[in-house]
Amino acid sequence: MVETLNESLSPHDHSVLVEIVKVTKIYPPDVMALRNVSLSAEKGELIFLTGPSGAGKTTLLKLLCRQEIPTKGLIEIDGNDLNTLSDNAIQKLRQRIGVAYQDFKLLPRLSVFQNIAMPMEVQFKNPKDIRNRVTELLAKLGLSDKQNKPAGKLSRGEQQRITIARAAANSPLLLLADEPTGNLDAVTTGLVMDLFQELNENGSTIIIATHDESIYRGTNHRKFELQQGELF
Amino acid sequence: MRFFLFIFTQTLRNICHSWGVQLMTLLTVTLSVLIFSFFYLIYTNMLQAGEKLGQELRLTVYLESPLNPAEQEEFKKKVNSFGKVEKIIFITPEQAFQRLAKQLGNDSDVLADLSPAFLPFSAEIYPEKDFHNLSRIKEFSDYLKNLPGTQKVQYGQAWVERFGHFVKLLRFIVIISGTLLILTTLFMVSSTLRLTLYARQDELKVLRYLGATNSYIKGPVLIEGFALGLFGSSLGLGALFFLFQWIKINFSSAVFLGLFELRFLPMTTSAVILLGSIMLCTLGSLLSIRRLLKR
Repeated sequence: MVETLNESLSPHDHSVLVEIVKVTKIYPPDVMALRNVSLSAEKGELIFLTGPSGAGKTTLLKLLCRQEIPTKGLIEIDGNDLNTLSDNAIQKLRQRIGVAYQDFKLLPRLSVFQNIAMPMEVQFKNPKDIRNRVTELLAKLGLSDKQNKPAGKLSRGEQQRITIARAAANSPLLLLADEPTGNLDAVTTGLVMDLFQELNENGSTIIIATHDESIYRGTNHRKFELQQGELF
Repeated sequence: MRFFLFIFTQTLRNICHSWGVQLMTLLTVTLSVLIFSFFYLIYTNMLQAGEKLGQELRLTVYLESPLNPAEQEEFKKKVNSFGKVEKIIFITPEQAFQRLAKQLGNDSDVLADLSPAFLPFSAEIYPEKDFHNLSRIKEFSDYLKNLPGTQKVQYGQAWVERFGHFVKLLRFIVIISGTLLILTTLFMVSSTLRLTLYARQDELKVLRYLGATNSYIKGPVLIEGFALGLFGSSLGLGALFFLFQWIKINFSSAVFLGLFELRFLPMTTSAVILLGSIMLCTLGSLLSIRRLLKR
């Protein structure tokens, strides 16, 4: 078992952060979600995963944050083989990955502030730093007036921004965003993409799964298309 | 330091979220401690009463004929060979007659025409002042009965045996109630905390996805168990103390209670009950979270 994690993050370091080699995922009994997918992402890169609903985008992101285990193939994050990591090492790795879930995974009874603060709290960060960071993210995503409201009382668009803020809270090594603009209008989509851009410029590797063409059209970032579990 | 701050914040958050269930568990722990310590308090006071009564216990051996000094020494040796006694006093029929007259008081004239000779020569044996002798009194009495020259042995058999049985019964109740209450507390605390954790399963799942370590999740639950044990047993012992004071004030003049002074549980016993409850509740919380983290 690999107990320690390789930890390195410097802006625009061109070594490979994510390595996916011939990964297949079959859900029981025989639903092929991904077939022989190979992909690599360098540190500080921003990648778009596109494709229609059911193409396997969400499954790929779940495999990257070890929410699911591949049926076959190898996945490495920053040199760590996800198949061989101990439970504790996985938790340590998850602390360095931010995930904006399509279904948000917010705690409805907790306030917006508490939800965004959670990833920093599990790392026992300085409460003052947590306050400042949450306030900063709320301002950037236009949610400053909502910080004390229970997350469950907000609209889906607002909840989507909260999950994005939570994913960005730790300025993660790797940020995975699953349909991050699905419930947003053009203005708030702009705010979210600005935040992603900023994180990326500061060294975070970002993988965005989307079928919203407007957010990747005309950009220089790499795009991969998934269709019926296969990467093109 | 920051670790503890977060763990305590998380604990408070959990308690606030499920305060109703937590309060019920706290009351269960309080009642369990109160019931157990109440029986234990009665038991220790009964032991104390037994000790006091044991100090006043004596066996009277009625002899077939008076003993000369040499025979008295021989008798003493035989008695001492069974077990240590504090003292042996030989009572002549004349001394016994005088005592009887004194006991009769104004009615002593009924003895006017009688001679002391109708009373037997006797020996009063005072066992060592040790309560444990009470359980051996019967054996001692049987031994004395079999000594040559012994006519009869008296020591208040009925109440000594009843008292012995009562203390035995009390000890049994303390052991059974203690065991049952320990199991109840363990079951209640682990079940209640498990229920609150089941209610928070989504939250725990999210915490795991965000990279929360086992200690971050376990810590608050263990503190909840610790706090339940600490406050539950403190409340239980506090309630027992007030109950004890009330009994002492209102019943100290009762004949039975006038025989000895009621005493509260010693500090060491109270501390053991307190620590035991804390350990039990913490163990209960550990069991609940371990099962859940295994899932």
